[in-house]
Amino acid sequence: MFNLFYRAKKEVTEPETSSRQHHTLWGDAWVRLRRNKLAVLGGSIILLLALAAIFAPLYLKYDFATQNYDAILVGPSTEHLLGTDELGRDVFSRLIYGARTSLAVGLFTQLVVLMVGLPIGAIAAAAGGRVDNLLMRFVDIMYAFPDILLIILLRAIFGGSIFMIFLAIGLVAWVGIARLVRGQILSVKQRDFVAAARAMGGSGAYVTLRHLLPNSLGPIIVAITFNIPRAIFAEAALSYIGIGVRPPTPSWGTMIADGNNVIYAAPYLVIFPAIAIAILMLSFTFLGDGLRDALDPRLRR
Amino acid sequence: MTKLLEVKNLVTHFVTQDGIVQAVNGVSFEVNQGEIVALVGESGCGKTVSSLSVLQLIPQPPGKIVDGKVIFAGMDLLKKSKEEMQKIRGSRISMIFQEPMTSLNPVLTIGRQLTEGLQFHLKLDKKEATRQAVELLKSVGIPHAEGRLNDYPHHFSGGMRQRVMIAMALACEPQLVIADEPTTAVDVTIQAQLLDLIRNLTLRLNTALIIITHNLGVVARYAQRVYVMYAGQIMEQGTAIDVYHNPLHPYTAGLLGSVPRLDEPRRTRLQPIDGQPPDLIAPPQGCPFAPRCVYVKPECKLKRLPLVEINSGHFTACLVAQEGALPWKKILSLK
Repeated sequence: MFNLFYRAKKEVTEPETSSRQHHTLWGDAWVRLRRNKLAVLGGSIILLLALAAIFAPLYLKYDFATQNYDAILVGPSTEHLLGTDELGRDVFSRLIYGARTSLAVGLFTQLVVLMVGLPIGAIAAAAGGRVDNLLMRFVDIMYAFPDILLIILLRAIFGGSIFMIFLAIGLVAWVGIARLVRGQILSVKQRDFVAAARAMGGSGAYVTLRHLLPNSLGPIIVAITFNIPRAIFAEAALSYIGIGVRPPTPSWGTMIADGNNVIYAAPYLVIFPAIAIAILMLSFTFLGDGLRDALDPRLRR
Repeated sequence: MTKLLEVKNLVTHFVTQDGIVQAVNGVSFEVNQGEIVALVGESGCGKTVSSLSVLQLIPQPPGKIVDGKVIFAGMDLLKKSKEEMQKIRGSRISMIFQEPMTSLNPVLTIGRQLTEGLQFHLKLDKKEATRQAVELLKSVGIPHAEGRLNDYPHHFSGGMRQRVMIAMALACEPQLVIADEPTTAVDVTIQAQLLDLIRNLTLRLNTALIIITHNLGVVARYAQRVYVMYAGQIMEQGTAIDVYHNPLHPYTAGLLGSVPRLDEPRRTRLQPIDGQPPDLIAPPQGCPFAPRCVYVKPECKLKRLPLVEINSGHFTACLVAQEGALPWKKILSLK
């Protein structure tokens, strides 16, 4: 069928493989991310903590809930690495199991955020006009609603299981992503390749899924990475004021709240979980910064 | 020669806060099968909007095709549904855009972007589509085509990207290709190569070609027939030879006078057309060129002037020329 075309180079008869290395866009971003020392540090800490939390039962001497009345409020020692709390529970074990809660909160809230925010933002931007207006005013209303109040309301409605905390925090945080997705898609929509795709006969859904969304993904990934520490902090704050994770499930927020009662006798009960929260949040922030630099389209060559 | 595309009295408006912009105001043109036609005019004269109206790619709102008919291969395109138009775009009419640097999706490989059109329009399977994509890349002169399918647009130079765009536009062997200033954004050295490539490929496929350009050199070399547009209207139409050697409109003469030529003494001054194109929100009542025209008559400003055939196939909307005088001819030949 294409014998109508002349061949540019007639002498090329057998396929030549060029020696050029093929970089994908994501591959390039990965290379840039690895060059960023802070991002690598943050990512490593997160990975390490995640592995430690997942495999906690395999190596920890103590369970997070086992109470030992012979060792109440014992300071850090070789027996109890970070000491024990007022019920004689091992603080180190509780911290590691608490990381499970925090990481799960970070991950699953963002899943909720993506599942709600992404389609709403994408539909608003792709449809435009009245649909856009309607959806965005709904987002505005959600945005104006006080976060903590909304979470408390949702907790009251849905009850207190940990999944409901994911849902409650996620349902508060999705508005930001919805706005971001909409803005990204609106800006990508103006670019020439979208017009070219439509001129090639692409339908609306095809253009949105194949051209608009993938080109908007970078900033969304970065925003999600920055959202995770906020969700972790939100869970800790909720647990601290007693409307978060129910005991005995360990949560860093609950641990700080419990330690507060005996802060003069055993200050480490507050200090260690606080440090844990700070390190985890900082790690995500470093990773987010690194991702932002790595995915920045201005650096693309 | 059979008519492939017939645009009749096309009117496209854009609704803005300041008023209605009459971007295309009663434009008619025809393209025969396998013919190369040029739409010429300066920026903002409605060339691009006319061609986007044919494909119905005008963003609506704010744009609106108010009136007119677009007959393509016997079908009225303006009456087609969205889905029917999607099937026509890319397979029977396709477009080459101005900016090769931004007209390819940066996150998809060249191969992906080439094969998707083939898979969608020709219902080819992936393997066959890939095989054809390689052939296409070879035909537009990209070396090591097999290896380059997995490359991303940012691995290509501007000229190479435009070659890929040409390959994409011709992938489904359309009957009509609209090239919207295809060489404006690339080096002068590449321009002729690309235009030769487009012409050769369309000739081989017997594909009609509309070249939209403001470059009269391009028109002279490639087009068979020319439509000169100004302020959303057609001022003059005819064969490229007629329009060049015997312009029947002062605007065409002005355009020719403002192009530097190599066959002239070096110190010859270019003769620009004084003034600015009219505001398309409130265009002049009569001939839109009248406010800038040196040869204007009072009658020119009264009402819109129709295109009148002066010689066979050579039309003009100029009253002066219609009355038999061609005062600009003297100035052009003096140069």
